[in-house]
Amino acid sequence: MSVIDEHLARAMELPGAVGASLVDCTAGLALATAGSVPAGDAEAAATGAAEVLYAASARAPFASARPHDTIEDLIITTVSGYHLLQGVPVPFGNQLVLYLWLDRADGNLAMARRRLADIADDLVRTPPDPPAGSAT
Amino acid sequence: MAKTRRQSETAPPGQRLSQLAGAGETGTLYVDGDPGGTVHLMGGVVTYVGSPAAPGVGALLTASGRLPEHTWRASLEAGRDVHRVGRILVEQGHLMQGELELCVLGAVYDAAFFVLTPAAVPVRFVPGELHWLGRIVDVEAAALQRETDRRRRVLEEIRPGSAVDHAPITPVARPPVQRVVLTAAQWELVVHADGRRTAADLSELLGRPGYATLQELRRLSAAGLLRDTAPPADGKPDPQPSDRDGRSAEATPADPATLARRTPPSTSSMPADTERTGPAAAAAGGAEAAAAPASASSGPASDGARRSTDPASTGGKPRARTGAATQDQVPPPRRRQHAAPPAGAANDAGPNPGPPDDALLDRIRAALKALR
Repeated sequence: MSVIDEHLARAMELPGAVGASLVDCTAGLALATAGSVPAGDAEAAATGAAEVLYAASARAPFASARPHDTIEDLIITTVSGYHLLQGVPVPFGNQLVLYLWLDRADGNLAMARRRLADIADDLVRTPPDPPAGSAT
Repeated sequence: MAKTRRQSETAPPGQRLSQLAGAGETGTLYVDGDPGGTVHLMGGVVTYVGSPAAPGVGALLTASGRLPEHTWRASLEAGRDVHRVGRILVEQGHLMQGELELCVLGAVYDAAFFVLTPAAVPVRFVPGELHWLGRIVDVEAAALQRETDRRRRVLEEIRPGSAVDHAPITPVARPPVQRVVLTAAQWELVVHADGRRTAADLSELLGRPGYATLQELRRLSAAGLLRDTAPPADGKPDPQPSDRDGRSAEATPADPATLARRTPPSTSSMPADTERTGPAAAAAGGAEAAAAPASASSGPASDGARRSTDPASTGGKPRARTGAATQDQVPPPRRRQHAAPPAGAANDAGPNPGPPDDALLDRIRAALKALR
Protein backbone atom coordinates (compact mmCIF):
# COMPACT_ATOMS: atom_id res chain seq x y z
CA MET A 1 0.00 0.00 0.00
CA SER A 2 1.48 3.31 -0.96
CA VAL A 3 1.78 6.16 1.47
CA ILE A 4 -0.75 8.06 -0.59
CA ASP A 5 -3.25 5.25 -0.12
CA GLU A 6 -2.55 5.15 3.59
CA HIS A 7 -3.41 8.80 3.90
CA LEU A 8 -6.59 8.36 1.94
CA ALA A 9 -7.47 5.52 4.27
CA ARG A 10 -6.98 7.88 7.20
CA ALA A 11 -9.36 10.34 5.62
CA MET A 12 -11.87 7.57 5.17
CA GLU A 13 -11.82 6.93 8.91
CA LEU A 14 -13.46 10.27 9.55
CA PRO A 15 -17.09 9.99 10.59
CA GLY A 16 -19.38 10.22 7.61
CA ALA A 17 -16.64 9.81 5.02
CA VAL A 18 -18.01 8.41 1.79
CA GLY A 19 -15.05 8.76 -0.50
CA ALA A 20 -11.63 10.33 -0.73
CA SER A 21 -9.18 10.89 -3.51
CA LEU A 22 -6.02 12.67 -4.37
CA VAL A 23 -6.52 14.80 -7.43
CA ASP A 24 -3.98 16.37 -9.73
CA CYS A 25 -5.87 19.57 -10.47
CA THR A 26 -3.61 20.79 -13.22
CA ALA A 27 -4.23 17.71 -15.29
CA GLY A 28 -7.64 16.79 -13.89
CA LEU A 29 -6.63 13.30 -12.87
CA ALA A 30 -7.32 11.27 -9.73
CA LEU A 31 -3.96 9.85 -8.71
CA ALA A 32 -5.47 7.65 -6.03
CA THR A 33 -8.98 6.93 -4.78
CA ALA A 34 -10.61 5.33 -1.76
CA GLY A 35 -14.26 4.63 -1.10
CA SER A 36 -16.89 5.91 -3.49
CA VAL A 37 -16.80 8.72 -5.99
CA PRO A 38 -19.82 10.84 -6.80
CA ALA A 39 -21.96 9.23 -9.48
CA GLY A 40 -19.41 6.43 -9.68
CA ASP A 41 -17.45 8.44 -12.19
CA ALA A 42 -13.91 8.98 -10.96
CA GLU A 43 -12.87 10.85 -14.06
CA ALA A 44 -15.73 13.31 -13.87
CA ALA A 45 -15.12 13.83 -10.17
CA ALA A 46 -11.47 14.61 -10.79
CA THR A 47 -12.02 16.98 -13.66
CA GLY A 48 -14.84 18.58 -11.70
CA ALA A 49 -12.58 19.14 -8.71
CA ALA A 50 -9.96 20.59 -11.01
CA GLU A 51 -12.45 22.97 -12.57
CA VAL A 52 -13.80 24.13 -9.25
CA LEU A 53 -10.32 24.87 -8.00
CA TYR A 54 -9.43 26.61 -11.23
CA ALA A 55 -12.55 28.72 -11.06
CA ALA A 56 -11.81 29.76 -7.51
CA SER A 57 -8.13 30.41 -7.97
CA ALA A 58 -7.77 31.64 -11.52
CA ARG A 59 -11.11 33.01 -12.66
CA ALA A 60 -12.31 34.59 -9.48
CA PRO A 61 -10.14 37.12 -7.72
CA PHE A 62 -10.70 35.61 -4.28
CA ALA A 63 -7.21 34.31 -3.86
CA SER A 64 -5.58 37.27 -5.56
CA ALA A 65 -6.93 39.94 -3.30
CA ARG A 66 -3.70 40.19 -1.38
CA PRO A 67 -0.17 39.36 -2.36
CA HIS A 68 0.93 35.84 -1.50
CA ASP A 69 -2.55 34.82 -0.58
CA THR A 70 -3.54 31.39 -1.75
CA ILE A 71 -6.41 28.94 -1.51
CA GLU A 72 -6.20 26.45 1.32
CA ASP A 73 -9.43 24.62 0.92
CA LEU A 74 -12.83 24.78 -0.71
CA ILE A 75 -16.06 23.46 0.66
CA ILE A 76 -19.13 22.67 -1.35
CA THR A 77 -22.21 21.96 0.70
CA THR A 78 -25.06 20.07 -0.85
CA VAL A 79 -28.31 19.01 0.73
CA SER A 80 -26.94 15.56 1.39
CA GLY A 81 -23.25 16.07 1.83
CA TYR A 82 -20.08 18.07 2.08
CA HIS A 83 -17.36 18.06 -0.52
CA LEU A 84 -14.01 19.26 0.76
CA LEU A 85 -11.07 20.15 -1.41
CA GLN A 86 -7.91 20.55 0.60
CA GLY A 87 -4.80 21.78 -1.10
CA VAL A 88 -1.68 19.64 -0.76
CA PRO A 89 1.34 21.89 -0.55
CA VAL A 90 3.98 20.51 -2.88
CA PRO A 91 6.41 22.88 -4.50
CA PHE A 92 7.00 20.75 -7.56
CA GLY A 93 4.81 19.62 -10.38
CA ASN A 94 1.11 20.05 -10.61
CA GLN A 95 -1.40 21.45 -8.19
CA LEU A 96 -2.76 18.74 -5.93
CA VAL A 97 -5.79 18.52 -3.70
CA LEU A 98 -7.11 15.99 -1.28
CA TYR A 99 -10.80 15.55 -1.95
CA LEU A 100 -13.15 14.25 0.72
CA TRP A 101 -16.82 13.48 0.33
CA LEU A 102 -18.69 13.52 3.60
CA ASP A 103 -22.20 12.46 4.34
CA ARG A 104 -24.02 15.42 5.73
CA ALA A 105 -25.94 13.60 8.43
CA ASP A 106 -22.97 11.73 9.84
CA GLY A 107 -20.15 14.07 9.02
CA ASN A 108 -18.72 16.81 11.17
CA LEU A 109 -17.57 19.50 8.85
CA ALA A 110 -15.42 21.46 11.25
CA MET A 111 -13.56 18.43 12.44
CA ALA A 112 -13.20 16.92 9.01
CA ARG A 113 -11.79 20.12 7.68
CA ARG A 114 -9.13 20.28 10.35
CA ARG A 115 -8.24 16.65 10.05
CA LEU A 116 -8.05 16.77 6.32
CA ALA A 117 -5.62 19.66 6.53
CA ASP A 118 -3.49 17.61 8.90
CA ILE A 119 -3.57 14.63 6.61
CA ALA A 120 -2.52 16.70 3.63
CA ASP A 121 0.32 18.11 5.68
CA ASP A 122 1.44 14.73 6.91
CA LEU A 123 1.55 13.43 3.41
CA VAL A 124 4.28 15.81 2.37
CA ARG A 125 5.83 17.26 5.48
CA THR A 126 8.19 15.87 8.02
CA PRO A 127 6.13 14.56 10.91
CA PRO A 128 6.42 16.35 14.27
CA ASP A 129 8.38 13.48 15.80
CA PRO A 130 11.60 13.84 13.89
CA PRO A 131 14.12 11.87 15.92
CA ALA A 132 12.09 8.71 15.71
CA GLY A 133 12.35 8.67 11.96
CA SER A 134 14.91 7.79 9.42
CA ALA A 135 18.45 8.38 10.41
CA THR A 136 20.02 5.78 8.27
CA MET B 1 17.44 8.18 -27.81
CA ALA B 2 18.00 4.56 -27.91
CA LYS B 3 18.06 3.24 -31.36
CA THR B 4 17.74 -0.06 -32.94
CA ARG B 5 20.10 -2.48 -31.41
CA ARG B 6 18.06 -5.51 -30.89
CA GLN B 7 14.66 -6.34 -32.21
CA SER B 8 13.49 -2.88 -32.95
CA GLU B 9 10.09 -2.87 -34.51
CA THR B 10 7.70 -0.21 -35.60
CA ALA B 11 4.56 -0.23 -33.55
CA PRO B 12 2.23 2.03 -31.61
CA PRO B 13 4.02 2.36 -28.28
CA GLY B 14 0.80 2.06 -26.35
CA GLN B 15 0.00 -1.23 -28.00
CA ARG B 16 3.47 -2.61 -27.39
CA LEU B 17 3.28 -1.49 -23.79
CA SER B 18 0.00 -3.24 -23.22
CA GLN B 19 1.44 -6.48 -24.64
CA LEU B 20 4.40 -6.23 -22.30
CA ALA B 21 2.18 -5.44 -19.36
CA GLY B 22 -0.10 -8.32 -20.22
CA ALA B 23 2.87 -10.65 -20.26
CA GLY B 24 4.01 -9.42 -16.86
CA GLU B 25 7.34 -8.29 -18.25
CA THR B 26 10.15 -6.54 -16.43
CA GLY B 27 12.43 -4.26 -18.35
CA THR B 28 12.63 -1.05 -20.33
CA LEU B 29 10.70 -0.13 -23.45
CA TYR B 30 12.53 2.36 -25.59
CA VAL B 31 10.31 4.50 -27.77
CA ASP B 32 11.86 6.38 -30.62
CA GLY B 33 10.59 9.44 -32.30
CA ASP B 34 10.06 13.00 -31.35
CA PRO B 35 10.29 13.37 -28.42
CA GLY B 36 10.29 9.66 -27.61
CA GLY B 37 11.23 8.27 -24.25
CA THR B 38 11.33 5.16 -22.12
CA VAL B 39 8.80 3.13 -20.18
CA HIS B 40 10.02 1.02 -17.29
CA LEU B 41 8.13 -2.06 -16.20
CA MET B 42 8.31 -4.38 -13.26
CA GLY B 43 6.20 -7.46 -13.32
CA GLY B 44 3.90 -5.90 -15.87
CA VAL B 45 3.23 -2.64 -14.05
CA VAL B 46 4.77 0.65 -15.01
CA THR B 47 7.16 2.08 -12.43
CA TYR B 48 8.60 4.97 -14.35
CA VAL B 49 8.34 6.78 -17.65
CA GLY B 50 10.79 9.32 -18.97
CA SER B 51 10.74 11.64 -21.92
CA PRO B 52 12.88 14.59 -22.96
CA ALA B 53 9.69 16.63 -23.26
CA ALA B 54 8.74 16.08 -19.63
CA PRO B 55 10.96 17.10 -16.72
CA GLY B 56 11.90 14.02 -14.77
CA VAL B 57 11.82 13.56 -11.02
CA GLY B 58 15.22 15.16 -10.54
CA ALA B 59 14.37 18.20 -12.60
CA LEU B 60 11.06 18.68 -10.80
CA LEU B 61 12.61 18.39 -7.36
CA THR B 62 15.57 20.63 -8.02
CA ALA B 63 13.98 23.25 -10.25
CA SER B 64 11.29 23.79 -7.65
CA GLY B 65 13.91 24.24 -4.99
CA ARG B 66 12.64 21.27 -3.05
CA LEU B 67 16.05 19.62 -3.19
CA PRO B 68 19.40 21.28 -3.57
CA GLU B 69 21.12 20.15 -6.68
CA HIS B 70 24.04 18.61 -4.84
CA THR B 71 21.72 16.52 -2.69
CA TRP B 72 20.01 15.18 -5.73
CA ARG B 73 23.26 14.43 -7.40
CA ALA B 74 24.71 12.66 -4.43
CA SER B 75 21.66 10.46 -4.12
CA LEU B 76 21.74 9.74 -7.79
CA GLU B 77 25.37 8.76 -7.62
CA ALA B 78 24.83 6.58 -4.60
CA GLY B 79 21.75 4.80 -5.84
CA ARG B 80 21.96 4.69 -9.59
CA ASP B 81 23.71 1.41 -10.00
CA VAL B 82 21.62 -0.37 -7.42
CA HIS B 83 18.33 1.16 -8.59
CA ARG B 84 17.67 2.70 -5.21
CA VAL B 85 17.79 6.44 -5.80
CA GLY B 86 14.24 6.90 -4.55
CA ARG B 87 14.76 4.86 -1.42
CA ILE B 88 17.96 6.70 -0.61
CA LEU B 89 16.28 10.09 -0.85
CA VAL B 90 13.71 8.98 1.70
CA GLU B 91 16.03 7.04 3.97
CA GLN B 92 18.41 9.93 4.25
CA GLY B 93 15.57 12.21 5.19
CA HIS B 94 15.68 14.44 2.14
CA LEU B 95 12.13 13.68 1.11
CA MET B 96 8.99 12.28 2.64
CA GLN B 97 7.84 9.07 1.06
CA GLY B 98 4.53 10.76 0.23
CA GLU B 99 6.25 13.59 -1.58
CA LEU B 100 8.32 11.19 -3.55
CA GLU B 101 5.30 9.16 -4.58
CA LEU B 102 3.46 12.28 -5.63
CA CYS B 103 6.39 13.54 -7.60
CA VAL B 104 6.98 10.24 -9.35
CA LEU B 105 3.31 9.72 -10.16
CA GLY B 106 3.12 13.16 -11.68
CA ALA B 107 6.27 12.60 -13.69
CA VAL B 108 5.09 9.21 -14.91
CA TYR B 109 1.77 10.44 -16.26
CA ASP B 110 3.43 13.50 -17.68
CA ALA B 111 6.08 11.61 -19.61
CA ALA B 112 3.62 8.95 -20.69
CA PHE B 113 1.63 11.60 -22.47
CA PHE B 114 4.57 12.23 -24.76
CA VAL B 115 5.81 8.69 -25.04
CA LEU B 116 2.51 6.95 -25.71
CA THR B 117 0.92 9.44 -28.04
CA PRO B 118 2.54 8.54 -31.38
CA ALA B 119 0.73 6.19 -33.69
CA ALA B 120 3.66 4.07 -34.77
CA VAL B 121 7.34 4.55 -34.14
CA PRO B 122 10.31 2.29 -33.70
CA VAL B 123 10.15 0.64 -30.29
CA ARG B 124 12.45 -1.83 -28.63
CA PHE B 125 12.19 -3.70 -25.37
CA VAL B 126 15.17 -4.59 -23.23
CA PRO B 127 14.13 -7.25 -20.73
CA GLY B 128 15.47 -6.99 -17.24
CA GLU B 129 16.76 -3.46 -17.54
CA LEU B 130 15.68 -1.55 -14.44
CA HIS B 131 15.37 2.15 -13.80
CA TRP B 132 17.71 3.75 -11.29
CA LEU B 133 14.89 5.31 -9.35
CA GLY B 134 13.60 1.98 -8.15
CA ARG B 135 10.02 0.99 -7.65
CA ILE B 136 8.26 3.89 -6.00
CA VAL B 137 4.86 3.70 -7.62
CA ASP B 138 2.88 1.17 -9.60
CA VAL B 139 0.79 2.42 -12.47
CA GLU B 140 -1.29 0.20 -14.69
CA ALA B 141 -0.35 0.42 -18.32
CA ALA B 142 -3.99 0.68 -19.27
CA ALA B 143 -4.49 3.60 -16.92
CA LEU B 144 -1.56 5.40 -18.50
CA GLN B 145 -2.91 4.93 -21.96
CA ARG B 146 -6.39 6.03 -20.93
CA GLU B 147 -5.06 9.14 -19.29
CA THR B 148 -2.86 9.92 -22.25
CA ASP B 149 -5.83 9.74 -24.57
CA ARG B 150 -7.88 11.90 -22.27
CA ARG B 151 -5.18 14.55 -22.10
CA ARG B 152 -4.92 14.57 -25.84
CA ARG B 153 -8.64 15.26 -26.05
CA VAL B 154 -8.44 18.01 -23.46
CA LEU B 155 -5.74 19.80 -25.41
CA GLU B 156 -7.77 19.63 -28.57
CA GLU B 157 -10.73 21.11 -26.73
CA ILE B 158 -8.69 24.02 -25.50
CA ARG B 159 -7.42 24.75 -28.95
CA PRO B 160 -7.14 22.37 -31.87
CA GLY B 161 -3.85 22.05 -33.66
CA SER B 162 -0.54 21.36 -32.12
CA ALA B 163 1.62 24.15 -33.50
CA VAL B 164 2.37 25.68 -30.12
CA ASP B 165 3.31 22.26 -28.80
CA HIS B 166 6.39 22.10 -30.97
CA ALA B 167 7.41 25.41 -32.43
CA PRO B 168 9.25 28.21 -30.72
CA ILE B 169 6.75 30.67 -29.33
CA THR B 170 6.55 34.38 -28.90
CA PRO B 171 4.04 36.56 -27.10
CA VAL B 172 2.18 38.82 -29.49
CA ALA B 173 3.42 42.38 -29.39
CA ARG B 174 -0.07 43.71 -28.94
CA PRO B 175 -2.77 41.68 -27.28
CA PRO B 176 -5.93 41.35 -29.34
CA VAL B 177 -8.01 42.61 -26.45
CA GLN B 178 -7.81 45.55 -24.13
CA ARG B 179 -7.68 43.69 -20.90
CA VAL B 180 -5.64 40.60 -20.28
CA VAL B 181 -5.84 38.38 -17.22
CA LEU B 182 -3.24 35.69 -16.73
CA THR B 183 -2.67 33.06 -14.12
CA ALA B 184 0.70 32.95 -12.45
CA ALA B 185 1.67 29.91 -14.47
CA GLN B 186 0.72 31.66 -17.70
CA TRP B 187 2.67 34.73 -16.73
CA GLU B 188 5.79 32.67 -16.19
CA LEU B 189 5.43 31.19 -19.63
CA VAL B 190 4.85 34.51 -21.33
CA VAL B 191 7.82 36.05 -19.61
CA HIS B 192 10.09 33.24 -20.70
CA ALA B 193 8.76 32.73 -24.21
CA ASP B 194 11.39 34.47 -26.22
CA GLY B 195 10.74 33.31 -29.73
CA ARG B 196 13.37 30.63 -29.48
CA ARG B 197 12.17 28.41 -26.69
CA THR B 198 9.71 25.66 -27.40
CA ALA B 199 7.21 24.16 -25.01
CA ALA B 200 9.74 21.53 -24.02
CA ASP B 201 12.39 24.17 -23.38
CA LEU B 202 10.01 26.11 -21.18
CA SER B 203 9.03 23.04 -19.18
CA GLU B 204 12.63 22.25 -18.58
CA LEU B 205 13.57 25.80 -17.70
CA LEU B 206 10.69 26.33 -15.30
CA GLY B 207 10.62 22.81 -13.94
CA ARG B 208 6.97 22.47 -14.88
CA PRO B 209 5.37 19.32 -16.15
CA GLY B 210 5.33 19.17 -19.92
CA TYR B 211 1.62 18.61 -20.26
CA ALA B 212 0.79 21.49 -17.92
CA THR B 213 2.92 23.70 -20.11
CA LEU B 214 1.12 22.59 -23.25
CA GLN B 215 -2.23 23.28 -21.63
CA GLU B 216 -1.30 26.82 -20.73
CA LEU B 217 0.34 27.52 -24.06
CA ARG B 218 -2.74 26.38 -25.88
CA ARG B 219 -4.92 28.54 -23.67
CA LEU B 220 -2.72 31.54 -24.35
CA SER B 221 -2.71 30.74 -28.02
CA ALA B 222 -6.49 30.39 -28.07
CA ALA B 223 -6.70 33.82 -26.49
CA GLY B 224 -4.50 35.23 -29.22
CA LEU B 225 -1.71 36.11 -26.84
CA LEU B 226 0.98 33.84 -28.22
CA ARG B 227 2.28 33.12 -31.64
CA ASP B 228 3.68 29.77 -32.40
CA THR B 229 6.44 30.55 -34.85
CA ALA B 230 9.06 33.08 -35.58
CA PRO B 231 7.74 36.12 -37.41
CA PRO B 232 7.35 35.75 -41.15
CA ALA B 233 10.59 35.80 -42.98
CA ASP B 234 9.39 37.48 -46.09
CA GLY B 235 10.81 40.80 -45.14
CA LYS B 236 7.59 42.31 -44.01
CA PRO B 237 8.64 44.94 -41.54
CA ASP B 238 5.83 44.45 -39.07
CA PRO B 239 4.88 41.27 -37.42
CA GLN B 240 1.28 40.93 -38.29
CA PRO B 241 -0.39 40.90 -34.92
CA SER B 242 -0.25 44.61 -34.56
CA ASP B 243 -2.29 45.49 -37.58
CA ARG B 244 -4.61 42.61 -37.52
CA ASP B 245 -5.38 42.57 -33.90
CA GLY B 246 -5.31 46.19 -33.02
CA ARG B 247 -8.85 46.65 -34.00
CA SER B 248 -10.31 43.75 -32.17
CA ALA B 249 -10.40 45.60 -28.94
CA GLU B 250 -12.75 44.66 -26.18
CA ALA B 251 -13.47 41.16 -25.23
CA THR B 252 -13.24 39.38 -22.04
CA PRO B 253 -10.02 37.57 -21.74
CA ALA B 254 -10.70 36.33 -18.30
CA ASP B 255 -11.08 32.88 -19.56
CA PRO B 256 -8.68 32.04 -22.28
CA ALA B 257 -9.86 28.51 -22.50
CA THR B 258 -13.32 29.34 -23.65
CA LEU B 259 -12.34 32.23 -25.80
CA ALA B 260 -12.88 30.50 -29.03
CA ARG B 261 -11.57 33.54 -30.70
CA ARG B 262 -11.02 33.58 -34.38
CA THR B 263 -7.87 31.96 -35.46
CA PRO B 264 -5.07 33.61 -33.67
CA PRO B 265 -2.46 35.51 -35.51
CA SER B 266 -0.02 33.74 -37.63
CA THR B 267 0.70 30.23 -38.11
CA SER B 268 3.39 29.35 -40.44
CA SER B 269 2.08 31.02 -43.50
CA MET B 270 5.46 31.84 -44.78
CA PRO B 271 6.74 30.78 -48.10
CA ALA B 272 7.96 27.37 -47.39
CA ASP B 273 10.17 26.68 -50.28
CA THR B 274 12.28 29.74 -50.27
CA GLU B 275 13.15 28.94 -46.73
CA ARG B 276 14.12 25.40 -47.07
CA THR B 277 17.71 25.81 -47.81
CA GLY B 278 20.78 27.79 -47.86
CA PRO B 279 21.45 31.38 -48.57
CA ALA B 280 17.89 32.23 -49.38
CA ALA B 281 16.90 31.22 -45.94
CA ALA B 282 19.77 33.08 -44.50
CA ALA B 283 18.83 36.23 -46.32
CA ALA B 284 15.20 35.99 -45.43
CA GLY B 285 16.05 35.20 -41.88
CA GLY B 286 18.30 38.17 -41.79
CA ALA B 287 15.60 40.50 -42.91
CA GLU B 288 13.32 39.08 -40.36
CA ALA B 289 15.79 39.18 -37.59
CA ALA B 290 16.38 42.80 -38.25
CA ALA B 291 12.72 43.59 -38.34
CA ALA B 292 11.27 41.65 -35.54
CA PRO B 293 10.06 43.99 -32.88
CA ALA B 294 7.65 41.35 -31.74
CA SER B 295 9.98 39.40 -29.61
CA ALA B 296 10.63 41.59 -26.68
CA SER B 297 14.25 42.13 -27.37
CA SER B 298 15.26 41.13 -30.76
CA GLY B 299 18.08 41.80 -33.05
CA PRO B 300 21.31 39.99 -33.20
CA ALA B 301 23.05 41.97 -30.53
CA SER B 302 20.60 41.50 -27.76
CA ASP B 303 20.01 37.98 -28.86
CA GLY B 304 23.62 37.29 -28.49
CA ALA B 305 23.63 38.79 -25.07
CA ARG B 306 20.70 36.74 -24.01
CA ARG B 307 22.23 33.62 -25.31
CA SER B 308 25.36 34.18 -23.37
CA THR B 309 23.47 34.57 -20.16
CA ASP B 310 21.38 31.55 -20.73
CA PRO B 311 23.62 28.94 -19.23
CA ALA B 312 23.97 31.01 -16.14
CA SER B 313 20.30 31.44 -15.63
CA THR B 314 19.57 27.82 -16.20
CA GLY B 315 22.38 26.99 -13.90
CA GLY B 316 20.51 28.87 -11.24
CA LYS B 317 17.65 26.55 -11.77
CA PRO B 318 19.37 23.30 -11.31
CA ARG B 319 18.72 21.20 -14.28
CA ALA B 320 19.94 18.08 -12.69
CA ARG B 321 17.90 16.19 -15.09
CA THR B 322 17.32 12.81 -13.73
CA GLY B 323 20.70 11.56 -14.41
CA ALA B 324 22.53 10.14 -17.25
CA ALA B 325 21.27 6.68 -16.92
CA THR B 326 18.75 5.89 -19.53
CA GLN B 327 16.40 8.38 -20.95
CA ASP B 328 17.21 11.54 -19.13
CA GLN B 329 20.38 12.55 -20.75
CA VAL B 330 21.91 15.83 -19.75
CA PRO B 331 22.62 17.74 -22.87
CA PRO B 332 24.96 20.53 -22.21
CA PRO B 333 23.74 24.04 -22.50
CA ARG B 334 20.28 23.90 -23.82
CA ARG B 335 18.22 21.77 -25.96
CA ARG B 336 15.18 21.91 -27.93
CA GLN B 337 13.69 18.56 -28.22
CA HIS B 338 10.77 19.18 -30.43
CA ALA B 339 12.04 22.21 -31.98
CA ALA B 340 15.26 22.05 -33.68
CA PRO B 341 17.28 19.76 -35.71
CA PRO B 342 20.60 18.86 -34.21
CA ALA B 343 22.91 21.75 -33.86
CA GLY B 344 24.89 20.76 -36.87
CA ALA B 345 21.93 21.18 -39.11
CA ALA B 346 21.70 24.85 -38.48
CA ASN B 347 25.22 25.36 -39.54
CA ASP B 348 24.69 23.38 -42.66
CA ALA B 349 21.74 25.50 -43.48
CA GLY B 350 23.87 28.56 -43.91
CA PRO B 351 26.73 27.86 -46.18
CA ASN B 352 27.24 31.55 -46.62
CA PRO B 353 30.74 32.47 -45.64
CA GLY B 354 29.95 35.43 -43.43
CA PRO B 355 30.64 35.32 -39.75
CA PRO B 356 28.22 32.96 -38.08
CA ASP B 357 25.51 34.89 -36.39
CA ASP B 358 24.00 32.85 -33.62
CA ALA B 359 20.79 34.73 -33.36
CA LEU B 360 20.25 34.49 -37.06
CA LEU B 361 20.97 30.81 -37.13
CA ASP B 362 18.57 30.29 -34.32
CA ARG B 363 15.84 32.06 -36.17
CA ILE B 364 16.44 30.13 -39.31
CA ARG B 365 16.37 26.98 -37.36
CA ALA B 366 13.12 27.96 -35.79
CA ALA B 367 11.59 28.94 -39.09
CA LEU B 368 12.61 25.70 -40.73
CA LYS B 369 11.24 23.72 -37.89
CA ALA B 370 7.98 25.56 -38.03
CA LEU B 371 7.52 24.54 -41.61
CA ARG B 372 7.60 20.87 -40.90
